[in-house]
Amino acid sequence: MRSIRPVLGLLLGTIVLLGGTAARPADAQAPKRGGTLRVAYGNEILGMDFYTTPGYEMVWVATNVGCGLVSITPDGKFFPDAAESWQISSDGLLYTFKLRKNVLFHDGSKVDAAAVKFTFDYVLDPANRANMRQFLGAVHSVEVVDPHTVQIRLKQPYAFMMHVLAVYRMGMIIISPVVTQKYTPEERRAGKPEALVGCGPFKLVEWVKGNHLVMDRFDKYFEQGVPYLDRVVIRTIKDPVTQLAAFKAGEIDFIADFSADHVDSLRAQNPRVQIMTGKETTPMVAMMKVTVPADGKPMSKDRAPHAIFNDIRVRKAVGCYGIDRKEIVKIAYKGQATPWVGIIPPGTMDTVDVNHLCPYDPARAKALLAAAGYGPQKPLVFELMTNTEKSVFNVIATVIKEQMARIGVTANIRLVDKPSWMTTATQDGAFDMYIEDLASLLTVDQNSYLSASAAAWNHSRHVDTKVDDYYARYAREMDPVKRKAIARELQEYSADKLYWNTISGSPFYQVAQPWMKDYVYQAEFKVQYRKVWLDK
Amino acid sequence: MADDREARGAQPRIISGGSLQEAELGAAPDVAWRAKAERAESPFAQGVRRLRRSTTALIGAAIVAVLLAVALFADVIAPRSPIASDQTHTFERPSRDYPLGTDQLGRDMLSRIIHGSRISLAVGVSSVLLALFLGVPLGMISGYYGGRADSLIMRAMDLILAFPIYLLAIILMVIFAPTAGLIGTMKVTGAIAIVRIPIYARLVRGSVLSIKEKEYIEACRALGVRDPWILLRHVLPNCLAPIIVTTTLGIATSIIVEATLSFLGLGTQPPTPSWGWDLKANVAFIQSNPWISLFPGIAIFVTVLGFNLFGDGLRDALDPRLK
Amino acid sequence: MRTYILRRLLQIVPTILMITLVVFVMMRSIPGDPVVALLGDAYNEEDAIKVRAEYGLDKPVLVQYGIWLGKLVQGDWGTSILSGRPVLKDVMIRLPVTLELIVLSMAVALAIAIPAAIIGALRQNTWADYSATSVAMIGVSIPEFFAGVLLLLIFSVGLRGTLPSSGWVYLPGTCPMIVCTGSLWGNMMHVLMPAVALGIGRAALLTRLLRASMLEVIRTEYVTTARAKGLSERPVVLKHALKNALIPTITVMGLQVGFLIGGAIVVETLFAMPGLGTFGIDAIIARDYQQVQGFALITAVAFVVINLLVDLTYTFLDPRIRYA
Repeated sequence: MRSIRPVLGLLLGTIVLLGGTAARPADAQAPKRGGTLRVAYGNEILGMDFYTTPGYEMVWVATNVGCGLVSITPDGKFFPDAAESWQISSDGLLYTFKLRKNVLFHDGSKVDAAAVKFTFDYVLDPANRANMRQFLGAVHSVEVVDPHTVQIRLKQPYAFMMHVLAVYRMGMIIISPVVTQKYTPEERRAGKPEALVGCGPFKLVEWVKGNHLVMDRFDKYFEQGVPYLDRVVIRTIKDPVTQLAAFKAGEIDFIADFSADHVDSLRAQNPRVQIMTGKETTPMVAMMKVTVPADGKPMSKDRAPHAIFNDIRVRKAVGCYGIDRKEIVKIAYKGQATPWVGIIPPGTMDTVDVNHLCPYDPARAKALLAAAGYGPQKPLVFELMTNTEKSVFNVIATVIKEQMARIGVTANIRLVDKPSWMTTATQDGAFDMYIEDLASLLTVDQNSYLSASAAAWNHSRHVDTKVDDYYARYAREMDPVKRKAIARELQEYSADKLYWNTISGSPFYQVAQPWMKDYVYQAEFKVQYRKVWLDK
Repeated sequence: MADDREARGAQPRIISGGSLQEAELGAAPDVAWRAKAERAESPFAQGVRRLRRSTTALIGAAIVAVLLAVALFADVIAPRSPIASDQTHTFERPSRDYPLGTDQLGRDMLSRIIHGSRISLAVGVSSVLLALFLGVPLGMISGYYGGRADSLIMRAMDLILAFPIYLLAIILMVIFAPTAGLIGTMKVTGAIAIVRIPIYARLVRGSVLSIKEKEYIEACRALGVRDPWILLRHVLPNCLAPIIVTTTLGIATSIIVEATLSFLGLGTQPPTPSWGWDLKANVAFIQSNPWISLFPGIAIFVTVLGFNLFGDGLRDALDPRLK
Repeated sequence: MRTYILRRLLQIVPTILMITLVVFVMMRSIPGDPVVALLGDAYNEEDAIKVRAEYGLDKPVLVQYGIWLGKLVQGDWGTSILSGRPVLKDVMIRLPVTLELIVLSMAVALAIAIPAAIIGALRQNTWADYSATSVAMIGVSIPEFFAGVLLLLIFSVGLRGTLPSSGWVYLPGTCPMIVCTGSLWGNMMHVLMPAVALGIGRAALLTRLLRASMLEVIRTEYVTTARAKGLSERPVVLKHALKNALIPTITVMGLQVGFLIGGAIVVETLFAMPGLGTFGIDAIIARDYQQVQGFALITAVAFVVINLLVDLTYTFLDPRIRYA
């Protein structure tokens, strides 16, 4: 078995804060069985159909209700989930998985190779519009060798096949052929428990949108002894004040996505809280639009240059030298984030520090603007769009506005709600620059759907196929050293062209009460309650 | 006396006393009008006198006057620019330099509150005035002419009134798409005005209906006085008092609606300073720095209180029977 | 009179139709539609076009409205595009919460208004009178969300969680979900702060109204006679004055429902309550057309019916107002 050793050691650590004087005894406490874990999300779950619902909130449920072939540790090592062992052929085209014999779906039926094949076929079928399909581009077919052995055949070597299975979004969680065919996508989306069977440690009891989601322990889970919890209840509390109040009063045990702005307040109110974070795997970007539709029709193949940011000099002046990334991090995150230029976030695999390519240099910015024809006679004015999903976006936009003023550029801030932002950004709408944090990346390979030239989510709408080449080469390179070199090239190229303009990492926080034990922090990638127990 | 209706708690109406009857009959239109005007003056003048004596109304008027002054002279009074951020002085506690502290971006809260009064007062007053200028004529036409016009207008008013005030305002603001600056403020004003129009239309229509059948109006008509003249000179003055009261109280409500819309993120957008927005954005920091969120809230409260006291005082003064 | 009532009853249907039609059209004039959010990461143009056709979003607006109406008369309120959940089911789950909130807010308003009005009427123009009306006046000048925030800070953050900051516990026996604990105590704890936040704003108008009505009664000869007979004041006032004040109070309370529904939106958002208010505003922002229609329908019905009752009460009290 060829092992892949990504460099994820530092990245997803756990920071536990103790305000008390007494040192904790070493984790030799035996987990207590029982209890209900009360979780709060900051955003609504949009739907429950695993493979078609966007948003992390559903993913975090799916990783508990479903099981995949393999899973991944915070250090990036793969370990068995439903598959007890696996082999990769020497040419990297054949992945053979041997399934455990005792894995069951929540309705009692067996999880076998046929179910795995069904899952892949379901996702690969364009009619099902599965969001994982874009990651299975390298898959040729999936075959059943025997009831407990399944084989994935690839068209070409793909360095991240195991990652796709383990952790891209929720990983390839196995769905039941019988159940999937019996119920409609609507019923799945609506959260009908019978329609959403998985093989994970918890089974879905009910989801009432706006009220709660309840999962109970699955007694026949293949791993003995776990989960310890009887039940997990998830509620959505959007307002940070209410979140803080609920946490302080002990009404909730765990907040799965806590706003960076209010970490200090939380810590002040709850000295013994566990605040978990790690190196940022989500980028905060200031995306500049590079082309516009030539005929006015959105997503038209005919492109015309954007009036302002098509000129690389203007992009560099504004996005590279004109933005003081350190200052933004200081104000928006109180220094608790990393100023960053590279397209690969600081905590993601194969990241390289290319900050030296874009130092803060207002003089150089002004010179470039002058070369492009802007100056006191013809001042540059553009619109800076951001959305209201997180308060930090507006803070960053305001700071950038100030920084633009220093180089004689006027940036007008336009604040819109998230759906409007998504429509404008995704559907080739009119914008100059936006501030947003996009997907969290374990590997930059997950990014190809965002920045490859033909991708729908290529918001800058650049047409440079060299970017596509980089992604393709990166995905095919099996040698980690060579891959890292390709990653470096991609990041330098990206910083040079600025189709994608990173400002900093976007820190992710999860907070837990002191009595919630053994939760393993894995950023947005895995929110799992399998080993969690309550010391009450 | 016969027209005594305030016990029902409906909008109080000034009904001129029975002495009008004598003036109506057999007099030339201009004489009748003059006689009526003279008599109509008197309760009004009485009202103004009562107003001057009412403490609540005076307190309210004082608050409103101060606020208007602050809003008008905001540029002069505010020590700093409300949108200039100073990154070295974020979350400052109240001090000599920053009497109300600074917010997350280092902006001086005192200046933001002073400038924020502009948005609140502008939206409050202009939304009500806009509703007035559109609603009063609609109500008069509806009540006076009746028939199909009445039916149509009242149907439209019912439609607007059928929406809970916030629901309609929210949907309208989502359609208009909230922005910053003057345009953003105009959008909020428009949204709130649309929601308030039916109140004035209905109010005026009710007044008109109860006056319409009076003999002196018929006398005017019989004498050939033209309708618009009748509406303007005879009908309108009778509605004036309740309109004034409703307007003043309406400003208070509009200010609350504007603050609530800002709280929901649908009002005038930053960086334009807005009390509702500041309250919402800063309330989570309340443990470390309470001033920056409590003071916008107190500002809203004091403003609304001022208009409410003044409006209440007006109501008491203009319809003493309610006391 | 009877024809008037009949006419108004008949007018309900077209009014509700008009309201839902206006909301229908307004929602579709907001830029953006649910399909972008629905497809999320996997968004691409071909899928988007297919999905829009599947849900009939490419048809003309009036045709879409007709389809919605057609389903409605069969009892089908539609299914949310975004969440796949049947709208009627969710509305029925959320309705009791908002209903309870509104009813209890009114109770809070009355609880403030009645004592204040009694004090004001009995001790007219004294300091007690002024303070009572001032308390009511202060209540009406605080925006609901500010009142809610203050209550939250005092009782949830401040006093170590005396009252829960968010969520909901259903009354025993009314819980529509599989997993719930029905508990009277829990329910009261959860509804207290929101109801107070929503109710104090309504107290002022009620206080003034009750006070004026009670003063009316006090002045009548009945009371003077009773006093002359030596009966003590209080029972006289309470019994007759309050009774007299009740009808106009109900009238005004009916008119206040509009503010209450709107205020409920804000209060429910702040206290994370699973009611119709959060249902509505989440749906509007997310462009969830079907949910917004469901929300509009139920609020329109409630509103129109209450308005009608109020108007009828009003007419009974002054038959001289002829509605042309």
